[in-house]
Amino acid sequence: MSSAAIKRNGRKSKAARFAKTFTLRLAFYFLLCALSFIFLYPFITMIVKSLMTDDDLVNITVKWLPSELTWSNYAIAYRRMGFSRYIWNNVLVGAAATIGHMFSCALTGYAFARYNFKLKNVLFVIVILMMIVPVQVIIFPLYKQYSDWKWLNTFLPLLVPCFFGFGLNGGFFIFLFRQFFMGLPYEMEEAARVDGCGPIRTYARIMLPMAQAPMLVCGVLSLVWHWNDYFEPGIYINTKPDLRMLPSILPSLYALLNQENHTMIQVNDLEGIVFNEAMLMAATFLCIIPIMIAYLFLQRRFMEGVERSGLTGM
Amino acid sequence: MSVKNAAAFRRPKRLGIDRRRSLEAYIFLIPWLIGVCLFFAYPIFVSVRLAFSDIVEFKGLKTAWVGFENFRYIFFYDINFVPTFLKVVTDTLLNTPLCMVFSLIIAIFINRKMVGRGFFRTAFFIPVLLGTGYIMKQLLGMGVDGMTVTTGILVPKLIADLLGPSITEVVQGFLDRITVVLWKSGVQIVLFLAGLQGISGSLYEAARVDGATEWEMFWKITLPMISPVIMMNVVYTIVAFFTDTTNPLVDYIYKMNFTNQQFEYAAAMSWLYFIFALVLCLASILMMRRHIYDSGAKG
Repeated sequence: MSSAAIKRNGRKSKAARFAKTFTLRLAFYFLLCALSFIFLYPFITMIVKSLMTDDDLVNITVKWLPSELTWSNYAIAYRRMGFSRYIWNNVLVGAAATIGHMFSCALTGYAFARYNFKLKNVLFVIVILMMIVPVQVIIFPLYKQYSDWKWLNTFLPLLVPCFFGFGLNGGFFIFLFRQFFMGLPYEMEEAARVDGCGPIRTYARIMLPMAQAPMLVCGVLSLVWHWNDYFEPGIYINTKPDLRMLPSILPSLYALLNQENHTMIQVNDLEGIVFNEAMLMAATFLCIIPIMIAYLFLQRRFMEGVERSGLTGM
Repeated sequence: MSVKNAAAFRRPKRLGIDRRRSLEAYIFLIPWLIGVCLFFAYPIFVSVRLAFSDIVEFKGLKTAWVGFENFRYIFFYDINFVPTFLKVVTDTLLNTPLCMVFSLIIAIFINRKMVGRGFFRTAFFIPVLLGTGYIMKQLLGMGVDGMTVTTGILVPKLIADLLGPSITEVVQGFLDRITVVLWKSGVQIVLFLAGLQGISGSLYEAARVDGATEWEMFWKITLPMISPVIMMNVVYTIVAFFTDTTNPLVDYIYKMNFTNQQFEYAAAMSWLYFIFALVLCLASILMMRRHIYDSGAKG
């Protein structure tokens, strides 16, 4: 074989390889786009529907593009659900519960990661059980207990358990912090100890400042989960309208539209406002807008935090 | 006492190093231990007692022991429990592997360097933002109120005509399920992504030098290295499906509690339910245990 033939062969295989990688890459992007479309589909439907007019809703030819963007739906939904009033309840509960989780779960996780003590295994089984036992199993005893303590129709049943490492997914957060602290080197603490630092000071001054990554993950997840939760608020706070939270207003709005055997597109409100499905979608979207804005700001650091928090080791 | 004197001689204020470490640990655990008593152990105790008894007087929760009467009622008289329970069980058994496979694939995809990585990461995280709450329930068309926004991606009409109604139904059912599963796999994707990031790049480099293909690298490096995350994710997924508010059985138990006010009965049901979840978790852990890669690190 002459050298020219080898050269030609080489070039040909290079072109073939390029074509192969190109097709592979195309298939890859196509698959990725298809998957993200499935993820975004209900979300996009919600936004599109929230901008429709009355006519668009009943017109089956209108599926993706509303004939005109009806922003007034948002204004009506905003007023109808008392957004400006109830959002502060959400913010308050979300912030307080998140702080509680960050404080208590970090402490507990640290103890499990760094100390050997009597009954450690037994206590760790309790942490695992905390993750596995659904709140629905113990909801009635808790309800009875809170009603005995006169905690019903306040935010206390939602907030106080968080400060003791319980509350929504408390076990998960304890586990998160334990995994993170287990991955840290011992040298830092030992150095602090040698220099005469007590255990609590070591924790507060040396270990906690290093735990920014799991703190962020815990903070974001706790905030999001508390924001969306409507199960517990719906049970503990049900007779005091002032303390309602945004997601627990939605069911009543949905029920309002469903009164007329699902055929009714719009309902005349007591105040004379016509309420239709588009406004309902607008209300639903309004509920999650604050959390989405917050996430957009935190997104990059959150992902980094997940990667660094060492959740991966069992 | 002579013992006391001897102790005084040996610096009594100093505890043994182990005892002292134990004590320090318990200082850190104080808040959580209080929490365990108030918000966990006691409610569980009450709930177990309720499951085996009958409320005689609601005030102060006076109960009478009835043994397995409540459980007997569940299996022999309640026409709703067993079918709902079986549906939840099959759903969980089908959804968990699907969820694992899809979230691992997606995590591997968005772990690569590519155009629009930030967009895709946000897209796949949107379900987490919507949480497991009421919004998601409505968006996925599983609302008990009957108002639905979407029921998943529909099979295109052309393909439906081609396949005939019975096959289309199967495909449609599969697509519906995938939509639901994907929408619940946000956290799993994030966990897998974290696991993938933790795999040292030098392993892949070494494999590439030895001429391994991407496919081989996935089976020989990625999968073994990520196996601890898979186990954690399986447990998380089972629990998440079980405690989800869109779960019909959870709904049923809730109604039994707060609408029908049959608290003993609801407690018995929820314990049965929990025991099944526990068995499923343990079974999957035991099954996967032998295949888990152990780096030999302490922990």
